Amino acid sequence: MLVQDDLLAPDVVADPYTYFGRLREEDPVHWNHRWGGWLVTRYEDVVTVLRDHERFSSDRMASLVLELTPADRDRLSLLINYFSKWLVFTDPPYHTRVRMLINKAFTPTSVERLRPRVRQIVDELLSAVAARRQMEFIHDFAFHLPVIVISEYMGVPPEDREQVKEWSDETSRIFFIRADEPDRRERSQKGLQHLLEYFEPLIYDRRRHPKDDLITALVQAEERGDLLSHEELLATCTVLIFAGHETTTNLLANGLVALTEHRDQWERLQQDPSLIRPAVEELLRYDGPVKATFRWVKTDTELGGKELRAGDRMLAVLAAANRDPRKFAEPDDLDIGRVPNPHVAFGHGIHICLGAPLARLEAQEAFLALSQRFPQIRLADRPREYHRTIVARALKELWVEW
Amino acid sequence: MARRLRISIDYDRCVGSGICVLTAPAVFQFNERRQSSVLDPAAEPEERVLEAAQGCPQTAIFVEDADTGERLFPPPELA
Repeated sequence: MLVQDDLLAPDVVADPYTYFGRLREEDPVHWNHRWGGWLVTRYEDVVTVLRDHERFSSDRMASLVLELTPADRDRLSLLINYFSKWLVFTDPPYHTRVRMLINKAFTPTSVERLRPRVRQIVDELLSAVAARRQMEFIHDFAFHLPVIVISEYMGVPPEDREQVKEWSDETSRIFFIRADEPDRRERSQKGLQHLLEYFEPLIYDRRRHPKDDLITALVQAEERGDLLSHEELLATCTVLIFAGHETTTNLLANGLVALTEHRDQWERLQQDPSLIRPAVEELLRYDGPVKATFRWVKTDTELGGKELRAGDRMLAVLAAANRDPRKFAEPDDLDIGRVPNPHVAFGHGIHICLGAPLARLEAQEAFLALSQRFPQIRLADRPREYHRTIVARALKELWVEW
Repeated sequence: MARRLRISIDYDRCVGSGICVLTAPAVFQFNERRQSSVLDPAAEPEERVLEAAQGCPQTAIFVEDADTGERLFPPPELA
């Protein structure tokens, strides 16, 4: 089959759905020579891969370490040590233990308590721009909401937010593969080091002076006598602050594009705000913030008629699975009343996004308020450009007017 | 005597996080598709069943009083 293999080609970055959709129909378990891994695009195959953590590992550090020279391993030892404790890069039994210790703080029941405060933050952010008749949605709104919410929930004081956000962005460089950043591993480690130095005194403080925040809850997290070690606590603080940032921003921006480009659905939401829950699920399915997630083949196996070898890497392409016509009727249509909507935007299996209930809550409150306060909102006549990354579906800017 | 519970799983929501299986292993187990299935609703104390339902990131577990039909979890705002 003749398909171009450049996952960062401008047309693939601008519209991943056409490229991955073609793969899904023509070669659903596809070896991408240029990237050097498998692309899995059908819903059933994606779900199989994400459910079967025994065949398909999340241990990214193990494979990274193999790629590095001994000198690089020494130089990046801090990064390797802490990232190897991030839930998203670990397999059971470590993953099971830590996930169970922190899961309670992120259940739908726990985050529902935050709804009034999230509503208030949304209201304040929108009030600040209302008179301007236009905004750059990402930097005026979508960027701030998740930062404020996760910072308050964790117990990071307001005056430190911007700095913590900068370090978190630096840390992220290793994941959002951009071709033009040869020093991204070093910058990532530097960012992580700043975050660790920032959180260490906060953890000591909460041990002595417990507060009603997430760091205190993590310090006290106990499941049948088990506790997080100091390094595990630090690693968990850094992954939570990091994961609480960029992905929700992209959900809000991609969702607003989808709604404003489907005026009938936008008006439907205005007229019937009770559709907000299914609407947010549909925005996640239609153009979610994460295009794909990585896995590593643990043992030689077969998938979709292809022979996979131990050590092969793969991308489970969530964006393609969410548009699979075998699973969803009229998958390329946006239907905010779509129920059921078993999309895989948050992943699937044991690594299902820990922050999903919080992201849902933020998106629900944001789109409710936007649809009620700015019913006339429309996209400004400016070109839209996405960051060149394999994983994130991330606009650089989004200008809107009303 | 403890009340009898009726537990149902919404399979369009269940993603196989395994939280319920780990929280109340005598009640929940993975089926062949690695989604949750109910073994025996009475095999653990009610408190632990509710903890498992509350722990579900997808709100996929519904718990009722089997005799009165009263919904014990989730509350309407989470359903």
